[in-house]
Amino acid sequence: IEDETQVSRATQGEQDNYEMHVRASNIVRAGESLMKLVSDLKQFLILNDFPSVNEAIDQRNQQLRALQEECDRKLTALRDEVSIDLYELEEEYYSSSSSLREANDLPLCEAYWRLDLDTDAADGLAAPLRASPEPSAGPLPPAAPAHSHASGPGPTEHA
Amino acid sequence: MATYSLATEPRLRALEDIEREIGAILQNAGTVILELSKEKPNQRLLHRHAAAFRASVQHVEAELSAQIRYLTQVATGQPHEGSSYSSSKDCQMALQRVDYVRLKLSDMARTCEQMLEN
Repeated sequence: IEDETQVSRATQGEQDNYEMHVRASNIVRAGESLMKLVSDLKQFLILNDFPSVNEAIDQRNQQLRALQEECDRKLTALRDEVSIDLYELEEEYYSSSSSLREANDLPLCEAYWRLDLDTDAADGLAAPLRASPEPSAGPLPPAAPAHSHASGPGPTEHA
Repeated sequence: MATYSLATEPRLRALEDIEREIGAILQNAGTVILELSKEKPNQRLLHRHAAAFRASVQHVEAELSAQIRYLTQVATGQPHEGSSYSSSKDCQMALQRVDYVRLKLSDMARTCEQMLEN
């Protein structure tokens, strides 16, 4: 064999070895660039595939709207229950104090706020209080005038 | 982000399968070269792995071409400007309403307990 070739066996072996290294490196580099291509395709698909992006947005909107409607429905049911209880409490309150109408008799909401303020005053908060007894026409007194206090629970809502 | 839409999942899964197949291609090529480097390579093993390599390469090429063809048909180059921000904001407001009501109810419960203690 050495007579047929111009290079020695060892050199031929080294050349073959080098060629195999280079081809293997080329194969690995090609594989890696294919993987990068696939990754870019995935990214492009996620960002630019409009039909699926539209569908994803619609799904998300539906989920969020359903959750919001559920919350509002539950709050409305709670409000209805609380208004029934409030009606009964107001009836009780005003019927118990109706026979003894005095000047310092407070509407139910003011009595509640006054109690709230007393609690805050006990906690060390200074709050100017203006008691305003109003003549009530029945279980549903008129809207309380706005008065300043440190922790404002807000004006009473009347149906 | 939320669960991805049903339209994209098969395509993403196909791309993941392509990735796995590319790994298998490299594995086959490595086995072939390893076998060739031996003194007496096993011919049957060589042929089998070489055939698997060729088949996998052709399959990957077909799949990638299909995906690229679909994307060229669908993509416009413009960014998608849709968002779910408005419904997200509404939902956030609803949840804040619920929190506020919960706070007020707890205050009222505390007040009632104080009244009962007194």
